[in-house]
Amino acid sequence: MEKTGADILLETLAKEGVEVIFGYPGTNSLPILDRISDSPIDHYLVRHEQAAAHAADGYARATGKVGVCLSTSGPGATNMVTGIATAYMDSTPLVALTAQVTTDLLGSDAFQETDIIGITMPITKHSFLVNRVEKLESTLEEALEIARSGRPGPVLVDLPIDVITERCQSTGKKKSALAQKKTANRKEITAKVREISRHLNEAERPIIMIGGGIKLADACIPVSELIEQGQLPFVTTMMGIGSVHSPNGFNLGFIGTHGSELANRAVHQADFILAVGTRFSDRSTSKIEQFAPLATIAQIDIDPTSIGKNIKSDIALVADISEAVNELIPLVKKKKRSQWLERIERERSNIEGKHLSNGFGQVAKFIRKVQEIMGEDAIAVADVGLNQIWTLHSWRSNTPRGLLTSGGMGTMGFSLPAAMGAKIGSPDREVVAFSGDGGFFMNIQELATVSYYNLPVKIIVFNNGHLGMIRQYQDLFYNARFNACELGDKVDIKAVARGFGIPAEKVSLDNSVAGIEKMRRAQGPYLLEVTVDPNNYVFPIIPPGGSNMEMIYGRQK
Amino acid sequence: MEDEIHVISMLVRNRSGVLSRVAGVFGRLGYNIESLCVAEMTNPKISRITLVSRANADFTEKIKKQLDRLVDVVEVTELTQRHSIQKEMMLLGIYMNSENREEIMQAIAMFGCKIVSIRQNYCIIENVGNRGETETILAYFEPMGIEELARTGMIALQQHKNGNDDEQ
Repeated sequence: MEKTGADILLETLAKEGVEVIFGYPGTNSLPILDRISDSPIDHYLVRHEQAAAHAADGYARATGKVGVCLSTSGPGATNMVTGIATAYMDSTPLVALTAQVTTDLLGSDAFQETDIIGITMPITKHSFLVNRVEKLESTLEEALEIARSGRPGPVLVDLPIDVITERCQSTGKKKSALAQKKTANRKEITAKVREISRHLNEAERPIIMIGGGIKLADACIPVSELIEQGQLPFVTTMMGIGSVHSPNGFNLGFIGTHGSELANRAVHQADFILAVGTRFSDRSTSKIEQFAPLATIAQIDIDPTSIGKNIKSDIALVADISEAVNELIPLVKKKKRSQWLERIERERSNIEGKHLSNGFGQVAKFIRKVQEIMGEDAIAVADVGLNQIWTLHSWRSNTPRGLLTSGGMGTMGFSLPAAMGAKIGSPDREVVAFSGDGGFFMNIQELATVSYYNLPVKIIVFNNGHLGMIRQYQDLFYNARFNACELGDKVDIKAVARGFGIPAEKVSLDNSVAGIEKMRRAQGPYLLEVTVDPNNYVFPIIPPGGSNMEMIYGRQK
Repeated sequence: MEDEIHVISMLVRNRSGVLSRVAGVFGRLGYNIESLCVAEMTNPKISRITLVSRANADFTEKIKKQLDRLVDVVEVTELTQRHSIQKEMMLLGIYMNSENREEIMQAIAMFGCKIVSIRQNYCIIENVGNRGETETILAYFEPMGIEELARTGMIALQQHKNGNDDEQ
C-alpha cells in the first residue's frame, strides 16, 4: 500500500514504542502534524522549541524511554540546540526531528533553511538527513536504536518536506543491523573482573564511585547488591545520585565542586576506587592532579571514550555495567573494614552541622519538608544554580529516576519543561520542579503549556532577586564586586503564575508548611514562590582551580 | 610528550557526512590533519580513510577513541612505520632547460621516478614512495625550482592482518 512519508514516520515511531512527541509547528512540519491526530502518538504543543527538547529529555530521564521532539526548519531547529546539547552532555536517549526545506532547495538559502545537521554535529551522537522517502523507515529505526543503545545520546533526523509528502510503497523491510560498537569479549571481561575483585578484596580503604551510567544501563540493582555484598562505602557523581540504595549507611554523598565534604574526603583517602559509569568530569574531580592521590583506580564503562578521558585508570573495562558487575558480585568477599568505616564515621560527625551555618540548613529543611509532604517517590527536577545544589543535597532520592538535573551542561531553564516531560512520562508520580528566579525566567513561557494541558506539575521558585550562584562567586572569589547579578524584586512571580492560570502562593522559608500542603492538595499545577535571602549560599564549595580537599564554608580572608 | 607523526587507518560506512564527522573530531580538539586519503573498498558500502596527523601519543589515543565512537566508523587502527607499508604518490612539475636537463635526468634515474609528461620544456615527474623517500626527492628538486606539486597523502596497510608482530 502506498503511504506518505508522514504516515511512515508516525507509524514507525509508534511501532518503536514512541507514545509522545513534544513539538512546535512551522509550515515545513505541517505535513507531519496533519497526520498526527490519526496516529496513536500524542503531540504536546510547547511554547518554545527549546522546551520541546527539554521536555523530551525530562520524559526520557524519568522513564528510561527515548524522548522525541519535533520542530520546523530554520529557527525552530536552532531553538532546539540548547536542549539537544543538554541531552548530549548527560547521555539522554533523545530523537530530535527537524523539518527541512525541500531537497531541491537545500543549499539555496531558502526561507527557514538552516544546516541543522552541521550545527548539531558536535552535540549529537549521530544525525541523518533523509533524502528519499524509501529510506525513512529504516533511518528512523536506526535513529531510535542509536539513541538508546550503548552510551545513549541524542540523534537528529532532518526531514525535507518533499520526503514527508512523497508517497511510496511501505517497504516492510527488516531492520538493518546496526554495527555494534566493540566492547570487551567474554574472556576479557572475566579476566578484568577477576583483577578488579582481587584489588577490591585486598583494599583496606575501598570506595565505589557511582556515575550516571548506572541508571542508563539499568544496573541499579546489581550495583546495590555489589555494595551490600562487599560492605563497601560509596560516593556518587551528580548524575549518579539516587542510583544505589543501601540501608547500611554507606552512601557518603556526591563528590566534586558542590559535593559533600564527607564524600570528597573519603575519595581522597581511599586506596582503591571502583568507578562505574562515570567519565570523571571536572565538576567531580576538581583539580585533577590532586584527585584520589592514594588510590588505584578501576573503571567500568560501556563507552571507551569515557575511559582514560580525564583520569588515567589503572584497570579499565569496556563492558555493559550489569554484565560486569553481576560477574563481580560472587567474587567479592564480605570483609570487615572496621578501621576504614570508623574513620569515615569520625569524619562524618566532624563535618555534620557545618552546613547549618550560612542559611543552608533552612533551605535544606524546606526541601525535605516538600519531599515529606509530596511523598517519598515524588520526582524532583532541579534547575541550575543554588537551587540545584540545595536540591541535590537535600532531596532524598530513593528511586533511581527520582531526581533529574542538567549535570553536564548546566542549562538554566531546564527544570520547568523537563518536569512537564517527566510528568507526562510518569503520571502516577508527583513531579516537583525547583528553580531559582533566574532559571525560572528563562523558560517562563512554559507556564502556558502547563496551564493549557492542566499538567499537575508543582513548581517551586526560590526567589532571592538575584542570580544567586553568580552572586556567591562574585562575593567569594571577586572581592564582593557584584556585577550583573541582580534581578530585582519588581516582578510578582505569584501574580505572573496566576496570570497564566496557575494557582500560586508566596511563602517564606520559615513559614512554608501551609503553602506546601496547599500545593499538595491542588489537583492541577501549582506554583510556590519562596522568598530567600540572597545571602543564603551553597557550602561547602571548592574555589575555581582548587582540589576536592579545599572546600570552604564561608568567605576567604 | 613530543609530537610525532601518527598514521590512522579507518574503515567507515560510505555515506554522506562521514568525512565531516571525522574531520570534526580533529577540528574540535584543535588539531590539523596533515594528509588524508579516502576511497571505496571492494564492498562499496565501506570506504577506507587513511590520515596522518602530528600529535603526541596520549592525544592520539584520545582521538582514536573519539573516532571509534562515531556511528559510521567501523574500525580504527593506528599503523606504525615498522609494521606497515606506507606509500604516497606525488606529481611534481618542473621546467627543464639546457642547464638542468642533465641533472634532472640523473636524479630521476637515481630516485627511480618516472617522467609522465613533457610539454615543451615543462615536465611532470611521478614518484611513489614512503614518506622519507618523498621528502628526500622534494628536498633534492627544491633548489631547481618546483613549479607545481600535488601529493595524494599517505595510504598504508598493516603487514600482518592480526596485529603487530611484537604484540603477539
